[in-house]
Amino acid sequence: MVELVQDNWILFVIALIIGLLVAWWIFAATRRTKVEIEHRDEAEATPARRNQALIDSPPAAAAASELPPATPVGMAGVGEALATAATPAPPAVEEEAPPSPTATAPTQDASPALAPTVAAPEAAPAPAGSDELLRIKGLGPKLADQLRTLGITSLAQIAAWDDVEIDRVDAQLGRFQGRIRRDNWVEQARLLISGDVPAYEERFGKL
Amino acid sequence: MPIWLELLILLLLTYGGGLAIGWVIWGRNRSGENHG
Repeated sequence: MVELVQDNWILFVIALIIGLLVAWWIFAATRRTKVEIEHRDEAEATPARRNQALIDSPPAAAAASELPPATPVGMAGVGEALATAATPAPPAVEEEAPPSPTATAPTQDASPALAPTVAAPEAAPAPAGSDELLRIKGLGPKLADQLRTLGITSLAQIAAWDDVEIDRVDAQLGRFQGRIRRDNWVEQARLLISGDVPAYEERFGKL
Repeated sequence: MPIWLELLILLLLTYGGGLAIGWVIWGRNRSGENHG
């Protein structure tokens, strides 16, 4: 037998290399597909952040769509001629809109530059409340909408979930079932609320 | 036992040994990756 191995050692080396290649293909290559899946999750997460601007805009669009109808309805009784004349009306609407944010400004007439700076922080928390769910990795705009319909709008609610609650919500997530546990929403929400960014990034990657 | 069969068995054993070495190197820690 030793002679057989000595005579055909190159065949044994080739067999060993083939075995190693097959093992690498089975074990290391399947690991690669896992990484690809994780990349897809990140890809889902990044559009979610971009969509924050889109999600922010509907309230503004809704407000705009609510305001203009007020003038056509008022003009409807007057007639089309006046309706065409009503085109200057939109500027009037625009003029009406600013007074609400600047309503606080007149008290600070001495420093007009303060008005935008005061208005900006007020505007920032509002979208944060509606979009903070999207800070969870693996939770995109569609899931956020679905959660909103279930009455879940804040990270604090998710952070407070127990197993029973997770099962209850998970059952209503349709094709997204299993995401809560797979992506560790509760843990993510707790870390995000605590503001412990290093711990979060260590566990779930860059924010 | 014909010599070609003996050679074939030894080659298969070598191939299996390669698989085992590959599993030790790349496959053994896979179970630990599933969390996250």
